Amino acid sequence: MKPAKLFAWLPGLLALAAALATTLAPGPVRGFEMDRFGRTPVLEGGRIKPLDSVARNALLMIRSKQSVPYLGRDLGPDEWILDVLFRPEAADAQPVFVINDPDVLGLMGIRQSANRYFSFNDIAPHLQEIQAQAMAARDLESVQRSRFQNAVANLFERLVLFNNLENSVQLADSAGLYAELQAPGGTQSLQRRQSLAQAARFRILPPGPGQGPDAWQSTGEALLALGPAGPPPALAALALAGAGYRAGQPEAFNRGVAELQALTANLRPGALRHANAEILFNRVQPFYLGMVIYVATLLVLFASWLWRPDLLQPAAFSLLAAGAVVHSAGLVSRILLQGRPPVTNLYSSAVFVGWAAVILGVVLERMYRKGFGTAVAAAAGFASLIIAHHLAMEGDTMEMMRAVLDSNFWLATHVVTVTVGYSGTFLAGIIAIAYTLRKHLAPDPDPATTRTLVDMTYGIVCFALLFSFVGTVLGGIWADQSWGRFWGWDPKENGALLIVLWNAIILHCRWGDYIREKGLMACAIFGSIITSLSWFGVNMLGIGLHSYGFMDKAFWALAWFIFSQLALIALCLAPRRFWAPRTSNS
Amino acid sequence: MIRRFAVRCWILLASLQVTIVSLVLLMALVVLCTLAQTELGTLGAVNAYMRSWLVMRQLQGLPFRLPLFPGGALVGLVLVANLSAALVRRFDFNPRKFGLWVVHAGLILLVAGEFVTGAFQMDARMTIEQGQTVDYLESYHQMELAVSDLTDPAHTEEYGIPDSRLKEGAVIALPGTPLTLKVKRFYVNAALSPRGPNDPPSLADRGVGAGVTLTEAPPAASDKEVNATSAFVEPVAGGVSYGTWLVSTVLGAPQTFIHEGRTYLLSMRPRRTYLPYSVTLRKFSHDIYPGTDIPKNFSSLVHLSNPARGEQRDVLIYMNQPLRYDGKAFYQASYGKGDTLSVLQVVSNPGWLLPYLSCALITLGLLLHFGTTLFNAIKRRQEQEAV
Repeated sequence: MKPAKLFAWLPGLLALAAALATTLAPGPVRGFEMDRFGRTPVLEGGRIKPLDSVARNALLMIRSKQSVPYLGRDLGPDEWILDVLFRPEAADAQPVFVINDPDVLGLMGIRQSANRYFSFNDIAPHLQEIQAQAMAARDLESVQRSRFQNAVANLFERLVLFNNLENSVQLADSAGLYAELQAPGGTQSLQRRQSLAQAARFRILPPGPGQGPDAWQSTGEALLALGPAGPPPALAALALAGAGYRAGQPEAFNRGVAELQALTANLRPGALRHANAEILFNRVQPFYLGMVIYVATLLVLFASWLWRPDLLQPAAFSLLAAGAVVHSAGLVSRILLQGRPPVTNLYSSAVFVGWAAVILGVVLERMYRKGFGTAVAAAAGFASLIIAHHLAMEGDTMEMMRAVLDSNFWLATHVVTVTVGYSGTFLAGIIAIAYTLRKHLAPDPDPATTRTLVDMTYGIVCFALLFSFVGTVLGGIWADQSWGRFWGWDPKENGALLIVLWNAIILHCRWGDYIREKGLMACAIFGSIITSLSWFGVNMLGIGLHSYGFMDKAFWALAWFIFSQLALIALCLAPRRFWAPRTSNS
Repeated sequence: MIRRFAVRCWILLASLQVTIVSLVLLMALVVLCTLAQTELGTLGAVNAYMRSWLVMRQLQGLPFRLPLFPGGALVGLVLVANLSAALVRRFDFNPRKFGLWVVHAGLILLVAGEFVTGAFQMDARMTIEQGQTVDYLESYHQMELAVSDLTDPAHTEEYGIPDSRLKEGAVIALPGTPLTLKVKRFYVNAALSPRGPNDPPSLADRGVGAGVTLTEAPPAASDKEVNATSAFVEPVAGGVSYGTWLVSTVLGAPQTFIHEGRTYLLSMRPRRTYLPYSVTLRKFSHDIYPGTDIPKNFSSLVHLSNPARGEQRDVLIYMNQPLRYDGKAFYQASYGKGDTLSVLQVVSNPGWLLPYLSCALITLGLLLHFGTTLFNAIKRRQEQEAV
């Protein structure tokens, strides 16, 4: 292989090697096999998942990050959940609650500063006030709530989640599960066990032999059902692990965890296999990794426009390919873990829109080889994964499907096709943006490349029309099958129809020669606005049109996006370098 | 002169400009209709924007309503005319354009389907409690004043008067009975409250209506509200008046009077359509995912009984799996009463097949067209590279 070719593939291979390295399991922390504990399968939110997933999702919801800095170290999700479950006094001191709203801070007598993270102990003195305010907010419909009320209701929900987690295996203010098992029965003990069963966020004890697959129990439920035969072995093992962790004895903890795992492997081998697979997915964080690789791609590509394009452009492409591999691997893992087609909720639609755009971009780059395919693919991949990253704060991204959506056939056909239509429309918009920037920034844009960009946009608009139309129609058929009407002018349906209509308008204007190069590009950028509105805008419509509740973060993000696209349309239509002074003969 | 004008009209009708303008107008209508749904409800917004010929608006200070925008029906009709004209005017057997013709023929069918749906679709519901047998459908929006002859406990004779006939001052004779009903007042929607000491006397002098104060209310606008349709009526038989009664969809207490030994029940209720067969709800199930309240499935196990055809069978109706029978489709729509009551949505739409056909046509056409375009583009590039 020629050295230049090798150089081109090197960055991509390095990125893949780095991705592989993240699959390695971390070692014990201070002698505790925390990773092993994180693999414990539990039943939460209607599905089996490793405890590690519960911890990560909770941390994302409470803190918007997957780790907690504490006493000069970064606690991972497994260590954090161990503290929450077995050392609540330590967990209460960790700064896990992110609070951005100045009025909520003001409620607690805190001035807004660079520190946005607070521990439960910081908040505890103001609990009653927060609860009262949240209850007042809860009585209002979400459309009528003010920003403060939304923020305080949200903080209260996170406090409830934290409290439920602390009381999922043992009561936070009790002597612990081990002591509870030794405790003599009685009214007090019964009360404790009942409140434990009520508060539990997840069910950690696998069903015994001969029980149904849904018969998982929380420790509270198991304690209430305790018979003369003594505690079930899994409960005893869990108690041992908890006591060991609390007392700082790694051997006892590790022995308890190993026992619990062996028991689960024996009783529910499928659950343990699933948990092991999901934990690998959690550890790699393929979509975060993909985001990083796409940024690297963009940087290398920008550099290629300044220096040695012959070397750097293929290098950027190899990085893009590596990003696409990681992104695809993540997507496939989700499909396998969930046993569902790729798009099941807003989060996964963002992941999938980006993925389809990246694949289209790779195809375009192979066809035209000008670097633009790489640029738009990396930009689309990065942008959609950023959006997905923010959507992940809502909770478990592999949540169960509500009754009417529970149809793999329609999820696989209608939802996927419509989402590919979104990808196409966005990609056309991004190519048009690349055209716009190049038009004004490139010192001497050659007409052949311009022609290529126009061809690419035209082709992608055709592609987007095909997919958005077929997807919309399949949606109509699904609606006819499940609700008895093909078309109901529902906001989400209308959103899809708008995309179809807009792409059809672009193509008809082009065929009638009413728009040419510039017009086509401006229309393609407008397509991104329409798509963003039908993707996210209609979801906000439900929240309300003329209310404070409407003005949440997503609304402003969407407003800024639309504003930026409008500015780009203006820039696209403006004469080349309109700001520069013109000489008379150029 | 006229000929030239006609030709120019024809050319305009078949032109691409009309297509593009119509498509842009349609987009605007879709946006307006979507936004209006927060205030008017889905049905109200669809009727105002999509199923109307003109979008009418009452402007402040004007006594009449002004047409402000072409409605969806008008735009749809123009689009169909435009498409058909273009098909006729430009059709040639160029294989490269064949896909496009197929697409546009399919589009005409699609819009036609929406017209058929708008005109003929019948939407109703069937509410059944566990163990109950029901042989009628209830309308979502229309009401009826029902007079039921309860004399024979084994067989109830019923007379329904649709709300469209309930006009103030109307005198309605019930065929086959000695009864005549005089409509004193009719309200599409009303608010009912117990009569306070200072309220004016009620129009009703019999039944629960005497103790009720009624205020007229504007018709329900959003999807969540339901009209409390009410009327004051006076039954007359053999020259004898039985007093004035208040009937309303929100009054639950049965109100009866007796004439010549026969007992008659008065009630206002959703308009019923009786079926030649009956449906019994054996069991309603509401499954959730373990440890959550996320619904997993709703299903109704019903028994279908059609003596005329000798049909007796059990059917399970669940999400995405309606029962199609007798030109109607029965869907699981809602539930209530602690999961012992099931609400089925019943739809009959003679044009239901049209969208399927048109979709197949359009998809085929798009594939054909973009496929040949792509194929030609690749061929051109290869030729260029070869040069």
